[in-house]
Amino acid sequence: MKNRILILAVLVLALTGCEDELTIFPEDSLSTPTFFKTEEDFTQAINAAYVPLRVINNDSKAYLAEMHSDNTYFARNTAFGATEQQEDIADHAIPSDGGITANVHVERVYVQYYQIIARTNQILTTIDDAEFDEAAKANIKGQALFLRAYSYFDLVQFFETIPLHLTPVLGREDAALPLSSAEEIYAQILSDAQAAIPLLPPKSVQEPGRVTSGAAQTLLANVHIVREQWAEAETLLRAVVASNEYALMPDYADAFSGNSDNKNNMESVFEVQYKEGPEGLNGSFLYNFIPRPITAEEVGALTGTSNPQPVNGEGNNIPTPDIIEAYEDGDLREDASIQYITISESFWEDGVYPIIKKYVEPHSLHNNHGINWPVYRYAEVLLLLAEALEEQGNSGDALPFLEQVRTRAGLGAPTGDLGEAIFRERQVELAFENKRWFDLVRTGRAVDVITAHGARIKANPLEYYYPAGVEPRSNAFNNISERYALPASESSLNPNF
Amino acid sequence: MKQLYKSLRLLTLTLTLFMTYSVFGQEVTVTGVVSFAGDGSALPGVNVIVKGTTNGTVTDFDGKYSINVAPGDETLTFSFIGFTKQEIAINGQTEIDVTMTEDATALDEVVLVGYGTQIKREVTGSVQTIDAEELADIPVSQVTQKLQGRLAGVQINQTTGKPGQGMSVRIRGQLSVSGGSDPLYVVDGFPISGGINNLNPDEIEDITILKDAASTSLYGSRAANGVVLITTKKGTPGQTNVSFNTSVGMQSVPERGRIEMMNSVEFAQFKKEYYEDQGDPVPEIFQNPSQYEGQTNDWYGALLRTAPLQNYNLTITSNTEKLRSAVVAGFFKQDGVVLNSDYERFSLRANLDYDISDRVHIGFNVAPSYIIDNVPRTDGTRGEGILFNALHTWPIMPIYNADGTRTTFNRLPADTGNIFSYANWLTSAEQITNETKDINLLTNAFLEYEPIEGLTIKTTLNAELYNRRYEFFSPTTATYRINNPIPTNSEAIWEDRNDFSWLNENTVNYNKSFGEHNFSLLGGFTFQKFRRDFSRVQAQNFADDRLPVIQGAADINRGGNQTFDEIQEWSLVSFLSRLTYNYKGKYLLTAAVRSDGSSRFGSENRWGTFPSVSAGWIASDEDFMQNQETFSLVKLRASYGVTGNNNIGNYTQYALINNTVNAVFGNDLAPGSAVNSLSNTNLGWETTKQFDAGLDVSLLNDRLSLVYDYYTKNTTNLLYNVQVAQESGFNEFSDNIGEIKFWGHEFALNTINTTGKFRWTTSANISFNRNVVKSLADGIDRVYGNSGWHITKVGEPFGQFYGHLSDGVYLNQEDLDTSPQVPGRSTVGSIKLVDVNGDGVITRGGDDDDRAITGNPFPDFTYGITNTIKYGNWDFSVVGTGSQGNQLLVRHLFSTTNLDGVFNLLKDVENRFRSVENPGDGFYGTTVGGGNVTGIERDWINDRFVADASYFNIRNITLGFTLGGVERYFKSARLYASIQNVYIFTKYWGGPNPEISVQNNGQGDGGNLESGVDISGYPVPRIVSVGLNLNF
Repeated sequence: MKNRILILAVLVLALTGCEDELTIFPEDSLSTPTFFKTEEDFTQAINAAYVPLRVINNDSKAYLAEMHSDNTYFARNTAFGATEQQEDIADHAIPSDGGITANVHVERVYVQYYQIIARTNQILTTIDDAEFDEAAKANIKGQALFLRAYSYFDLVQFFETIPLHLTPVLGREDAALPLSSAEEIYAQILSDAQAAIPLLPPKSVQEPGRVTSGAAQTLLANVHIVREQWAEAETLLRAVVASNEYALMPDYADAFSGNSDNKNNMESVFEVQYKEGPEGLNGSFLYNFIPRPITAEEVGALTGTSNPQPVNGEGNNIPTPDIIEAYEDGDLREDASIQYITISESFWEDGVYPIIKKYVEPHSLHNNHGINWPVYRYAEVLLLLAEALEEQGNSGDALPFLEQVRTRAGLGAPTGDLGEAIFRERQVELAFENKRWFDLVRTGRAVDVITAHGARIKANPLEYYYPAGVEPRSNAFNNISERYALPASESSLNPNF
Repeated sequence: MKQLYKSLRLLTLTLTLFMTYSVFGQEVTVTGVVSFAGDGSALPGVNVIVKGTTNGTVTDFDGKYSINVAPGDETLTFSFIGFTKQEIAINGQTEIDVTMTEDATALDEVVLVGYGTQIKREVTGSVQTIDAEELADIPVSQVTQKLQGRLAGVQINQTTGKPGQGMSVRIRGQLSVSGGSDPLYVVDGFPISGGINNLNPDEIEDITILKDAASTSLYGSRAANGVVLITTKKGTPGQTNVSFNTSVGMQSVPERGRIEMMNSVEFAQFKKEYYEDQGDPVPEIFQNPSQYEGQTNDWYGALLRTAPLQNYNLTITSNTEKLRSAVVAGFFKQDGVVLNSDYERFSLRANLDYDISDRVHIGFNVAPSYIIDNVPRTDGTRGEGILFNALHTWPIMPIYNADGTRTTFNRLPADTGNIFSYANWLTSAEQITNETKDINLLTNAFLEYEPIEGLTIKTTLNAELYNRRYEFFSPTTATYRINNPIPTNSEAIWEDRNDFSWLNENTVNYNKSFGEHNFSLLGGFTFQKFRRDFSRVQAQNFADDRLPVIQGAADINRGGNQTFDEIQEWSLVSFLSRLTYNYKGKYLLTAAVRSDGSSRFGSENRWGTFPSVSAGWIASDEDFMQNQETFSLVKLRASYGVTGNNNIGNYTQYALINNTVNAVFGNDLAPGSAVNSLSNTNLGWETTKQFDAGLDVSLLNDRLSLVYDYYTKNTTNLLYNVQVAQESGFNEFSDNIGEIKFWGHEFALNTINTTGKFRWTTSANISFNRNVVKSLADGIDRVYGNSGWHITKVGEPFGQFYGHLSDGVYLNQEDLDTSPQVPGRSTVGSIKLVDVNGDGVITRGGDDDDRAITGNPFPDFTYGITNTIKYGNWDFSVVGTGSQGNQLLVRHLFSTTNLDGVFNLLKDVENRFRSVENPGDGFYGTTVGGGNVTGIERDWINDRFVADASYFNIRNITLGFTLGGVERYFKSARLYASIQNVYIFTKYWGGPNPEISVQNNGQGDGGNLESGVDISGYPVPRIVSVGLNLNF
């Protein structure tokens, strides 16, 4: 009997000891139960929420928001085959059966924005339970709300109806939600952006590169403009102007970030931050915007790197004759926005192509640059304000804001209808900044403008960088729609698509 | 009564022992020779024991023995495995010669089972044992290579010819989606954490494969993939034996099976026609193809060489009164058949067993090894592997300059269509370091105590230390990539891995008989722990190519998780128990259970229990079988049990934070952290329930014996990263899902065709393994492989090839107009695909497009046959292995049939469609139209990429001769010659080796979802060798 008790005791001890021995948390990374507690945790979490913006703007958004418009096109390289993904976007020929598409750029933008949404949801759900400095907490919350609102704003403009996630997903069951209407999405965006404004510090106080109260006001105003709520937009934009936090750079060319300097300058309201170097924080979008095949020497002449390499494939986001034509005579912005390079191995004409100059900045290593991508500039604040005023019939107040922008461009007073003048001004002032497609859609002009654009390309492919004898594909411009189809990869996982 | 009986037996034993010692002074010596009845040859190693005592000896190499017997001793017993035991009365004789006869039934032969041994006859599970001696002559480095074709139900493929690497072992077709499919390797009772490719085969005594659940369930949550038990050499009773074995050989890649590519003239002709067909001017270099006559640069062939291989092993076994020892020292060196590849292994093993007393035994095994292995970046797809790159490099690009020096870099002007530039692959192979250095130390210690007869208490302590250093360095003058001009950026990778695993096992075993009822009971408690410390540094841009050291690097590459530290730990606590019972030795029953608690399992699901039961009936022992002589053994077996697969990752259950999601503000890095996985507190092992029915038959005096097994098993709770909608911010959730059903038949036949001086034996096996996916996750009926070449679909076998079905090309406008087309892309002369879904157009993408299953990577059956002939001093053996009905996906066709003329092409592409009048053989399509047209044929993977990979390989032929007249110098000496991979009979055309494919171990790569892809990896060589065995 005694022995039995002893054996039992040993067994019990062994088993309880076991449970301890059987619990091994990873030593090389943190896990959720121990994270989201301190200010440092939440600072790191909000930092991570910015990260997908790098991928979105480096890899895909320019195709969806700029090359999908009449501003840019691709430069056909007949020596290279597999480039349908970008061509489909530029050609408005994205296969989209039953409202879904397998286009990788559509998928990437969708997935990356939801990454931001998931990361901000995690922060917003847990931050109130953490105890740390209230000012720091407000700042982080404000940034999270801004990033969530901005993500949904781009998504709703691209897709219109999308799932609305506001809390962290825990398992398979709550991973896929029904599609919410644009009304529901906009209501959330307005609420988030509104809530972000008082929580965020102004630009002069905030760490450079993070979103500010001014950025949140601009975002909210932009949303109101899309919703045609002109008075609400006016109030917000006037506040941005009155804040004295921003001014136009004297020279238009200086409005844009350098490779490592002139970042977040006084005109910048919000820009996506890149850093050159081996840490993987760099961009490479300049290289996407070069016609090909291009020799190492020609790449080197453009980028100034120490190790230029030849680039093949197909160049994208090449300025069209239409955008070049859109600049008025004497517009200083044309030479600051577009330059010409000669590609000796090109199959097109003499190989002299226009390319986007805004993002040509010398850097050290091939395919690795630190140029920031502009999201909101003060010039746009002024143009949005002019538009909000003009739409309310207040042309008199609107004109000075428009002229402020035109004066810097070396231009005088606008001619003709003021509303049209503002719309034209946006095309050239904000060219290649991923605004054009959204502007066409929100003003209801997308189908007409693109139809005409497509007709021009088909009528004269040589003008649009097709080598002699090469025709646009037979399916080009046969699927012009104001919205992108939802990604096919998600359709099999979300039964509500 | 029984107690009394037992006491009496103890008393008798004690008395006998006492008497043995007490009469020591009066003993006499008996000597004699033991020989084999068949041919009269001497039999060494026969146990000679004075019956009823522990006094014994073993015959020497000449069959001679000498033993001291006391006057009271009456009988000598002579026993030897495989021979009938003989008892001879002494009757005062001092010279007793004995002839032994074979006993193929081997009634008392003992086999290893998990946690113990069992008499082979009484085994109720499905178990196969191979004596390592049978494998000794095969000149390869890994024991798994030697086992190819020997085992029923075990498919062993060599997935790459890289020296010392690439063996894939699958027992009974077991596979998992992502949980790993390799069997558990147990070396001297120690389940080791990795594979056995670094183990010196000469250290092995025998190998036992446990296949059914009844045999494996004592290994619980690690047993579902089957268990391989390895026993290393022990000192056996007998005198000291020193043996030296060596072999040297030459390896080469046979011409048969090399991929038939275009030569320079053919390639230039293709390019010329390409431009003509496009209506474009022909670039100057292609205008006159015949100028390249005799100037083909065979880049692939130039990377290959004939390379030597050598193997030396010294084995010393000894046996003194209380100490048995075995020491094996080995050196193996293999230069690879690809330039600059080699493998060297230094190994040592010392196994000691010591009897402290009659009841207490201890033992120690210590086995260190050191391995250096350097293989250039040979394997990989385009731009990743040098062999693949070389295969499709233009043959007009020179390997050597006119002055005989090597070219550094080849790129032709863009108007030639040369999109990709190529480094000199010979330089790449020679200058790129890709080296691993492994230090491995395997140790076991045990203490065994037998307090009373039949009761054994054993405790063991095992430890495994493994250190791997990996160094990769690519100088500025070399690259394995394509389109990477020389000079380029130098880059290096260093990895350091330190594994430490220890195991403590405590078992109690009790054997007891009550009349005809025989019981054996096992109980145990075990604890195992594992830790890996791993670090990786990737750096770029070194100041000097001669100094690839970290302080010489300008940049440490921190992006993309290229530089990191990792710690992996797991622990396993187990309780195990087994009851073995038989009645009259012919009604057999075994029940076993193991309970595993693992740190890998979710906190809500920490313990798993794995029971099994098996039964057997030896029908031939029944009375009604006694009056016939045809059958010497008829045994029926059946078993059922549950086992698990715990290869689910150490931390999969946790929601982990990635703390390198770094942001930038201004020009400064800002550290960022994000949740990058979802947690699952219910995560558990994969469960396999297996039923096995077997029949063992021996007949005609055991001249013919057959083992047949049928099994069926269901694996459920497969670990799978179930895709979730990425709107969640995640792309997968690790869960236990789905069900796969497996079933199969295995036949193993052994025959003794002739006996006597000309002794010819055959062993053959054939296995039929099948599987079908019964279910996947809720709402998911299919999973595509990552590359989109495979589908795993409910109702179909696992991991099938998936793609379009091709139907030649559109021969003319009418054909095009009346056939389904790819909208906007199909033209006259382009590939014609089958409209599988019948919607009138050809589409790709989504579940309802025009793709279908195009092939099966699993064979209909695999087989092996070994013939052994001994004639006098000569011995001869032939091993053949085969696989029937499986296919491979030929990866290089993406490049080598690329109609845009970007790469060198298969010679067959000459016969492509050129015009309606000149349609070629109607197989390869037109080059006109660029990627929009040709891309369908190339990128929309179709059934042309799938090739029959059935084969029969004469795996090994060995001829040996035992030298006579050497007794003055050696106990024995044998010379042999051996050829490995003699000839492969196959229709496979995608490369030299039909068993080569992406290694699919289920962890870290595409896994079983993407098996059977030939990426033109390192070819498996033919090896011609000669060897020598000396015994001192």
